[in-house]
Amino acid sequence: MHISVRKNLKKNKSAQAGLVILTILFLITIIAPLFTKDPETFSKMILSEPSLTNILGTNDLGQDIFSRLLFGLRTSMFVSISAGLLATLLSVAIGVLAGFTGGLFDEVIMRIIDSMLVIPSIIILILISAFIKPNLISLVILISLFHWQGGARIIRGQTLVIKQKIHIYSARTFGAKKAYILTRHIIPDLGNIIMASFLHNARSAVFLEAGMAFIGISSLSSISLGTMMHNALEFYYLPVWLWWLLPSGIMLSLVLVSFTLLSNLIEKIIDPRLKDA
Amino acid sequence: MLKIKNLSASYGNKKVLRNLNFEVKKGDIVAIVGESGTGKTTLAMSIMGLLSEQSADAEISGSILFNGTDICSASRQELLKIRWKKISMVFQNIDNILNPTISVYNQISEILNGKKNNLQINNMLERVGFPSNRASAYPHQLSMGEKQKVLIAMAYILEPELIILDEPTSSLDNETKNSLIKVIKKLSQGRTALLLTHDLDTVKKLSEKTMVLYGGSTVESGHTKKIFSNPRHPYTRGLIRSYPSMNRTKDLQGIRGRPEFVDTGCPFWPRCTQLINICRIYRPPLKKYGDTMLACHRGGIIPLLNVENISKSYNNLTVLKSAYLNVYEGETVTLLGRSGSGKTTLAKIIMGLIKPFGGNIYLENKKIEKWDFSFYKRTQMIFQEVESAVSHRLNVLDAVIEPMVIHRVKSKSDMIEDAKKVLSEVELPTDKNFLHLYPHHLSGGELQRVVIARALVLSPKLLIADEPTSSLDASIQAKILKLLNRIQEERGLGMLFITHDLGVARKVSDRILKLENGIITKERLR
Repeated sequence: MHISVRKNLKKNKSAQAGLVILTILFLITIIAPLFTKDPETFSKMILSEPSLTNILGTNDLGQDIFSRLLFGLRTSMFVSISAGLLATLLSVAIGVLAGFTGGLFDEVIMRIIDSMLVIPSIIILILISAFIKPNLISLVILISLFHWQGGARIIRGQTLVIKQKIHIYSARTFGAKKAYILTRHIIPDLGNIIMASFLHNARSAVFLEAGMAFIGISSLSSISLGTMMHNALEFYYLPVWLWWLLPSGIMLSLVLVSFTLLSNLIEKIIDPRLKDA
Repeated sequence: MLKIKNLSASYGNKKVLRNLNFEVKKGDIVAIVGESGTGKTTLAMSIMGLLSEQSADAEISGSILFNGTDICSASRQELLKIRWKKISMVFQNIDNILNPTISVYNQISEILNGKKNNLQINNMLERVGFPSNRASAYPHQLSMGEKQKVLIAMAYILEPELIILDEPTSSLDNETKNSLIKVIKKLSQGRTALLLTHDLDTVKKLSEKTMVLYGGSTVESGHTKKIFSNPRHPYTRGLIRSYPSMNRTKDLQGIRGRPEFVDTGCPFWPRCTQLINICRIYRPPLKKYGDTMLACHRGGIIPLLNVENISKSYNNLTVLKSAYLNVYEGETVTLLGRSGSGKTTLAKIIMGLIKPFGGNIYLENKKIEKWDFSFYKRTQMIFQEVESAVSHRLNVLDAVIEPMVIHRVKSKSDMIEDAKKVLSEVELPTDKNFLHLYPHHLSGGELQRVVIARALVLSPKLLIADEPTSSLDASIQAKILKLLNRIQEERGLGMLFITHDLGVARKVSDRILKLENGIITKERLR
């Protein structure tokens, strides 16, 4: 079955919207330092209302909320993309190898995955984070370590299906080595599933990062949308939530929504039964 | 009786016979077969001592010993004693031989030196089945069959020891042919005869020994039955395959190329499909292989694939108990069996996709230990499911060059050139638009051709075709089968054709094998 992601994207309005939002957010995070102040600089102007100098006012330490919002978005984007990539990479590497090799290796890997899936990953993450207070990089690694299993399981299953396909047998009868079959046939054939897995992992990573920051167990040195919401909630009795809590909440939702819209498209592509739904 | 030693003959620069050696014993009927232009008539003329009279620039060397007399060096007087009395001939061009102004009766009496021996002539005419009341007719009043009978009567009337029959039955209808064959058989009893013809049916019915001539030299000789049932030389097989026979169901196949006779190497090499370097350089000597004599550097048609004692079972289900089969160069062997009988399993085992429990596989007489590039370069497979045989991500060009990409033997531009050549061989367009189509744009027949092109692009010697037409409709199936037949003729491809369809099997195969209960048996259908 031949699938063109581009053609499907052209037909799907909501996925287009998701892609547009995600692209804009991504661009903003890249160019943010060009038009924001240093988000860390303190000032005596605390909890001030939005003005021309501070578009979204300042927080309780006199820092510019707008700058912190964009830098928070940067953190979210960084975590989502890098944790998404790393977790997907692990899923693909382990899933494809297990499916393709089969036998004892497959058995062992699958039992490890099963046991890891049984343990609620959020609780473990919280526990570990509470001890080591991870910085951004270690957070990405931690999230990835607890997010590859689901994807690996799906990818292994698909690999089992694909490796029995006739075009793989054909390639073998041309004398193709395992590496060729993996890189030129199996992994490209898994493209859509890898994409779905990436979007799913990226979305959960954003949510996890913000969530952990919100409950205050991530490193204080990084600016995060979760930390912003956590701090803003301390001043819920003041009108500051309007330009502090709301924008950071909206920003986080935008990221999540855009990822969701895109992954819906991929799901529809993978499962034709969802096409008309 | 007749011994030919190192006989060579040429017309000017054109060599017609090269170093011919053979012996005909008393009472033998020896057939000499070959395409037109292989030197059959020249040989006959040489034996009759007529070559130099027929053509001024004819040169002859070597010796033709007839009962001890060398015809090549014999004087005119000696030749006159032998000709017609000891050696007579039935000439090929019937119309040119008989004098149109002389009646049949007088024509025959001319041979008896004008003695009108009524009884002898009438007796002879009766023996050949010519109505004696028509003996006064002139040649133009006779049918072809009747003229041929007259010629035979003329050849046999002096009761010669050796009779040369040059195409005695060609251009005759079947009924006349059969009656003539009967006549010749009767007349030749106790006599020696040399039958020169391209009509294999006559050869089978008349001769006990056969010699196959190509480019003026012998390529194979032996007992007629053996040569027909089991030809060893590719040329002999080519001749048999091109001859329409009543009990052969496979489509006719010719011999690739056209006769062009070379001075160096094996005479057949420009048309041979199992050519190796030595064939171009040295002329193969005539060697004894069992009962037959054969001139081939490769020892005749080579066995491509030998499968020995292969067994396989899945869990408790035994699929193959002890499977034996072999495929020779340029032949199609069909493996027939119902679905689930293990046909595809056997094909996959041969291709190294499944490991058997036991048994050996030999390719060109070498045991396969490892399925590597050199194996896959010589053996290819076409899978049953056409629709999924090409990845949906590959366009036509990518699909066809994929095997070459895997083997990493050529530059990209060479690969594209090769791909285009193969695509035109399988009768597909090679323009840019077509090359960039994806499998889902192609029809079943087109896709099957792409799959065949992919299998052929590495120039394999053996092709395993697993139900290549089962998903196609009858008209496309016919085209694909013809295509495979033609490719086999061109490339000398050995083919293991797997099917459940008896009709298809009979149309494409040289041999049919049946796979049943894990054992391969010979199917007696041909």
